[in-house]
Amino acid sequence: MSAVDENGPEHGGDDIVAAEYVLGVLPAEERQAVARRVESEPGFARLVERWEADLSPLAAGYAEVQAPAAVKDKLDRLLFSGAGDTSAANSVSTGGILSSLAFWRGLSLAALAALALFVALPFVNPPADEPQMRLVASLAPQESDVHYFVVYDARTRDVGLSHVTGERAAGRDFELWVIDGQQAPVSLGIIPAGTNVHLAVDDATRGKIESGAVFAISLEPAGGSPTGQPTGPVVAAGDLKTI
Amino acid sequence: MTPQDITKLIVRVSIKDRAAFDLLYRQTNAKLFGVCLRVLNDRAEAEEALQEVFVKIWTKADRFAVSELSPISWLVAIARNHAIDRIRVRRKPAVDIDTALDVADPAPGPEAMAVAGGEAGEINRCLEELEADRSAAVRGAYLKGESYAELAERHGVPLNTMRTWLRRSLMKLRECLEQ
Repeated sequence: MSAVDENGPEHGGDDIVAAEYVLGVLPAEERQAVARRVESEPGFARLVERWEADLSPLAAGYAEVQAPAAVKDKLDRLLFSGAGDTSAANSVSTGGILSSLAFWRGLSLAALAALALFVALPFVNPPADEPQMRLVASLAPQESDVHYFVVYDARTRDVGLSHVTGERAAGRDFELWVIDGQQAPVSLGIIPAGTNVHLAVDDATRGKIESGAVFAISLEPAGGSPTGQPTGPVVAAGDLKTI
Repeated sequence: MTPQDITKLIVRVSIKDRAAFDLLYRQTNAKLFGVCLRVLNDRAEAEEALQEVFVKIWTKADRFAVSELSPISWLVAIARNHAIDRIRVRRKPAVDIDTALDVADPAPGPEAMAVAGGEAGEINRCLEELEADRSAAVRGAYLKGESYAELAERHGVPLNTMRTWLRRSLMKLRECLEQ
């Protein structure tokens, strides 16, 4: 069943697609396609929101169930581990990262020590038949006020960045790097300006990310590093955790 | 906690106020966990989903400013959408549907009014105008996050028939809601 011929006006058009999306009945691929429309078409997003509002009284049918305390603890670690989770330092194997980063100009020992704190928690490989794996990282400030939140979606091979704090200096850009052990950092590109932005991931980088690489953001000349390797200071870094 | 209080918390979360986030979590986790449990029907998965939902709330709270939904409806929409996204890509459904969790569906009560900001009656009135099995399909899809395929199986009709049914029902609902 194709979404195209089914969605003409005689079938209610966009308004009914919006209703199907809100109701949640669409199969995965169609649902993802509609979700992209919600992001990119304000008119369509309004139709979706109207259905959300119209159907919202049905949510009274959901019983309230207190979540176990462990959920909030884990959530706090996930979101706020940059704020002094010293327990992480004990389970760290940082040699590879330290040596591969050592040449990064402007990266102080203190910043490196801070970076080490983020290389935490053994990475748990999900079963190979779960392509929906998603990973998050809080890229916490490294002697800066630059903080981004990263969500990597294995299914769409998309890195989403949410800007939390910190502005780039005039004429400079933030560049996102993936660092896998001792190997040279691989650039994912310049981080576009904006609150929520996305970067695509190629196959080689995908493997690094999914095997537990670290993300770092460096400050670079406008347009990105001229050398293909980080040239400016690391302003934020963090490791990935499964969600 | 009034909707206005929750609105204030969401706005404070959008400027990364962690105390506000903690309070918002305390006030709303039970409702959003209820959503995740009902849709995913698996406790461990619902716990993971709830975490992801609150990560989204933390990172996307600024979007609430441009939404016209009530604060609880906005939060429930995030949780429902996320849980449904998860279940759609899950390979096989939980085996013991409806028995894994001893969670009864409460009848729409006073809370429905709070959720809808006074318009709770509209959707329920309009659903009553549909044939019983069609309105049950809409409610089931909403609450449990059932797919067209699952609805078709449960109602014993081909997938395309189910889709045509439900689309007609949704069009009737829209007409009724606009009256």
